[in-house]
Amino acid sequence: MGALTDKYCIVGVGETPHMRPSNRTTLSMACEAVKKAMTDAGLGPGDIDGMSSYQAGDSTTSNHVASSLGMRLNYSVDILGGGSSTEALLGKTIGLLEAGYCKVMVIFRSMNGRSGRRMGGQAPSGPVPPTRAAEDNQFMMPWGWTSPAQRFGMSAMRYLRDTGTSTKSLAEVAVAHRHHASLNPKAAMRHPITIADHQNSRWVVKPFRLLDCCLETDVSAALIVTSRERAYDLRQPPVFIMGGTGRTMAPNAAWNYSRPEIHYVAGNYGRQRLFGMAGISHKDVNLISCYDAFTFTTLIQLEAYGFCGKGEAGEFVKGGRLQIDHQLPSNLSGGHLSEGYTHGISMVIENARQLRHRADDACPGWAEGKHSYDREAGCRQVRDARIAACLGWGTETMSSSAILRGIAA
Amino acid sequence: MPGPIDYSKIMIVPDFDTAEWWLGTKAGKYLVRQCKDCGHTWFPPFPACNTCTSMNLGWFETAGRGLLHSYIVVTQPILGAFVEAVPYVVGLIELDDCHEADGSLVRVGGVLLDDEDAVAIGLPVEVGFEQTSDPDIVVPRWKICGTADNTWKFTG
Repeated sequence: MGALTDKYCIVGVGETPHMRPSNRTTLSMACEAVKKAMTDAGLGPGDIDGMSSYQAGDSTTSNHVASSLGMRLNYSVDILGGGSSTEALLGKTIGLLEAGYCKVMVIFRSMNGRSGRRMGGQAPSGPVPPTRAAEDNQFMMPWGWTSPAQRFGMSAMRYLRDTGTSTKSLAEVAVAHRHHASLNPKAAMRHPITIADHQNSRWVVKPFRLLDCCLETDVSAALIVTSRERAYDLRQPPVFIMGGTGRTMAPNAAWNYSRPEIHYVAGNYGRQRLFGMAGISHKDVNLISCYDAFTFTTLIQLEAYGFCGKGEAGEFVKGGRLQIDHQLPSNLSGGHLSEGYTHGISMVIENARQLRHRADDACPGWAEGKHSYDREAGCRQVRDARIAACLGWGTETMSSSAILRGIAA
Repeated sequence: MPGPIDYSKIMIVPDFDTAEWWLGTKAGKYLVRQCKDCGHTWFPPFPACNTCTSMNLGWFETAGRGLLHSYIVVTQPILGAFVEAVPYVVGLIELDDCHEADGSLVRVGGVLLDDEDAVAIGLPVEVGFEQTSDPDIVVPRWKICGTADNTWKFTG
């Protein structure tokens, strides 16, 4: 991008509640999320002419959502993918808007991530047919190695061994994100936790405990992107897209496990492109969203994107450094660990709200950008939030990112 | 591993790229893909050599031995097949005989017969084979086969 830095903006965001379970279709939830994003932006269905979603064969399509809401789209493409898709779609959107394929683009995710198809396994109820071990899964599923926790756990275990990092550093991530969830009325899990709570939680797959793992929820979330010229006329302060990367791969990405270092993750290959395009350094970043499918995925990406040195993330996160009012507040909505699981889009949405200075917290004037900064009173707005880095994660070998800038500070 | 893995609950689906590999396990062989043009070895058996792009491929029969590079201990089953088997250990095994001059190596996953207490990163392991309920499918499973210096164990 470079030349296109700040030319396109996030202008609207919205989501359904995080439900467990929703008892709704992904189409119904997506319609609600897109409507809320339109209302937030001050746009109507006639203004939207592009839509993209990401999914894993578990969701409705842009075609259905647009038709249901009375939109006729000039561009509608849904992509396969989970984590890392949102930032990748931001990049694609900028290209499409620049080329004139459409003018105003909706990006959404809608998933019954808890009550419907679950990651790596089977639905929790109903008759269970034999699970098909096809394609790459032929070489994982027969040995009971399928879920993201089981797959990323292998890399996390080696990381702990190679760096001497303690699981108490994983706990620091869980505690920080839960603290932020405690300030977010939308979050599924809001009671504060301690490092001891993390250490005492049950094992899911060693080295991960329950509090290392994200919350599967049923939810849809949407955001709207358009040009800055259009953005200036809309309801919200624009959030400018400064740069990004889209599913940047590490070498031999399809089989992480034969790479020399299985925890040298894809962000290492995207970092220079990201900051180079945005024209800033990591030191300019006021807050981050750092994909937290697991505490480990946040930890390892702090190194990958250069916020600390290789092997140093365990030390870096100590003392609450990722918490609000500290050096690098992370996942201000509570993230996937504590707000709920959307495969990444909710983290980008939270950063947009933070950069508008309109975090939807307990402050009565939040919608006008009036915040008390009193954490005891439930304010989660970061002071002087100007630049946010969105660090998406697909796998160890695939990562997307975006840097966003606000003008409301 | 406290109980058996119920392979009737997993339907393994060999395909164009993998069918010969599953014939290998049936014959008691642990195979990896090998390029007939440059000799590079890799796994899983993706259909082209990522060193020279050749699709003129064969198989290399490994000795089925390696070092434990990492492991996980699954305490909460995800698949019906493993409900009786928890807690079980999945190892990441760096094969002894697939190291190449440029640093390329092959690591494979596999369920370990050993209990968590016996497992540590750095230990040598060797493969064995187990017939499943499907007469056409034999699966590899691994076992610790010696001791080593400088091993590392997860202590929580």
